[in-house]
Amino acid sequence: MGPLAALTPEAIAATATGAIVGLVFSAIPGLTFSTALALMMPFTFGLDTVPAIGMLLGIYSGGMTGGAVASILLGIPGNPSAAATVFDGYQMALKGQASLALGASVVASAFGGLFSLIVMMLLIEQVAAVAIRFGPAEIFALVLFGLSTICGLAERSLLRGLVAGVLGLMMMTIGLDELDGVGRLTFGTIQLQQGINVLVAMIALFAVPQVIKTFIDHGTSADSAPGGNVITEQVRGILPVRPLLPYWWLMVRSSMIGTVVGAIPGLGGPVAAFLAYDHARRFSRTPENYGKGELGGVVAPEAANNAVMGGALIPLLSLGIPADAATAIILGGLLVHGLQPGPLLFQTSLDIIYAMYVTIVVSWVVILLVQVAGIRIFVHVLRVPRHLLGVCILVLCGIGSYALRNAIFDVYLMAVVGLLGYALVRVRIPLAPVLLGLVLGRTLEQQYRTALILSEGSHGIFVQSPVAAFFLALTLFVVGWQIWSALRRRPEGEVG
Amino acid sequence: MRVDRILGLVLLFVALVWLWLAFTYIPGARGAGETGPRAFPVLLGVVLTGLGVALALNPGPAGEAVAPVTRREAVIVAGTIGVLVLYAFLLERVGFLIATPVAIALTMWGLVRVRSATRIVALAIGFTVGCWAIFDALLGTPLPRGSWVLWLR
Repeated sequence: MGPLAALTPEAIAATATGAIVGLVFSAIPGLTFSTALALMMPFTFGLDTVPAIGMLLGIYSGGMTGGAVASILLGIPGNPSAAATVFDGYQMALKGQASLALGASVVASAFGGLFSLIVMMLLIEQVAAVAIRFGPAEIFALVLFGLSTICGLAERSLLRGLVAGVLGLMMMTIGLDELDGVGRLTFGTIQLQQGINVLVAMIALFAVPQVIKTFIDHGTSADSAPGGNVITEQVRGILPVRPLLPYWWLMVRSSMIGTVVGAIPGLGGPVAAFLAYDHARRFSRTPENYGKGELGGVVAPEAANNAVMGGALIPLLSLGIPADAATAIILGGLLVHGLQPGPLLFQTSLDIIYAMYVTIVVSWVVILLVQVAGIRIFVHVLRVPRHLLGVCILVLCGIGSYALRNAIFDVYLMAVVGLLGYALVRVRIPLAPVLLGLVLGRTLEQQYRTALILSEGSHGIFVQSPVAAFFLALTLFVVGWQIWSALRRRPEGEVG
Repeated sequence: MRVDRILGLVLLFVALVWLWLAFTYIPGARGAGETGPRAFPVLLGVVLTGLGVALALNPGPAGEAVAPVTRREAVIVAGTIGVLVLYAFLLERVGFLIATPVAIALTMWGLVRVRSATRIVALAIGFTVGCWAIFDALLGTPLPRGSWVLWLR
């Protein structure tokens, strides 16, 4: 079948469903498409590999795009990546240009997404070709680098990020140790032999705390039930091409920013969008118009946050390192379907990688169709009562945890980890590093131990290889730089 | 700030319990030059100990305060987790088709205070049947049928 497997009716239907679900979840403030990814995972179990991946990538594309709808029509970002779009998008809507702003955001999004897809197609096999020569020491250093970046950048406090990463790694060690065949902290139970499953953990970490928050916000001032303030009267589906022509070079530059930011673990959509917005304002001939409804203020962040996707898929597919929470969940989904991302994937399943490229294009076609033909219907998702959605999500959490291996035990486990997740959110420990520790921990430990077996116990193996030494030095640099900037920040708000 | 100190102490406690568990229940390396299954968990326990101490001794700026837990929040958190646990319990015994409407109705009535019986019944039954149709019938992902009501099969 090759790449054409992405064009079967089943695959197109799955990708389209994913794209629409992603659009809806990211359009509704308070829900993110990471939740959608975790919740939709069980729907992919019954699908073939390519449609299943299509659904997940569709959610990703749709999720990066949909946030702008709420940003423009409500003045509240649908998800963090769309926060920079609020400044000018909402002002345009207030001036009666909602349709133009929505259309521009879609065109810029599609441009950014496809631009980064091309960059990814050009680079990814080169990266994989280099990475295929990596041994255990190099992979260990690389994974450690990815983890430390994410821990360092996920929250303002490095300590909290590191705590999160370590907690995730600790959860990973529970279960059967694959190298020695010894159960670790399973207390004789069979269910814990397989450990805390990544999919169960991501439902618990990314859906349960959100549902609890929805219930708590319901009926309070934080639940400023959009409904009333949605600017929907004048929304028409348009694809503005002529008004965007002067902005083509800005779109290219913003897409480049997004692609590069996306490829760096720990940064992700919000950083890309704000950097691009700032860049657009700084290099504009009329910077004073920014914040007052300037089209460039919509185009730049939307092109950038969608370009993140292609950038983030480069380390995910070629090295097996997810750059943010969403790609970590996609990694979990790939593993369920028997695909281990990393350089080997390019030798064993090249056709599936090509099918992914086609799938991403399909998802963009669907998104454009929804935004142009269905936008008048679509804007009504902003009126969906969030607390009732929360009730439905709670049930889906149960189904999702159960469906993975038909075990009620996993539903109990999800409830416990969900409580832990909420507690962590409350004390501002970021959840993305927990998930990454859980996803990457196994590789980290196995490569470390394999390297030491190869070197007969000598830690010298980690510095003898230039590549490993480079990544370890980079890790030290990232952590050191974080500590240094934390110490410098200290005097401002210090109380004690 | 006080929250950071308490959090640091809690993490320190977790780390020490973890280390105790690891040394008690996980066997160490069998020979020289081998890392063994215990090394990694122990290393993580040590790192968490350090992080807990650092957080307790060196709390962050006051600007990043954590809001206190209200009574209402505690009730909703306990209620949501309670519903999930009850849902798991019911799924195993009476199956998806009975457990789900019960969980939905309970959540709507108790946690989000919906008082319209029509709405509760409509969502409880509609969502249950919808999920059953998509997962069980369309996608072939079996949902729990329950050990107490085998006759429903």
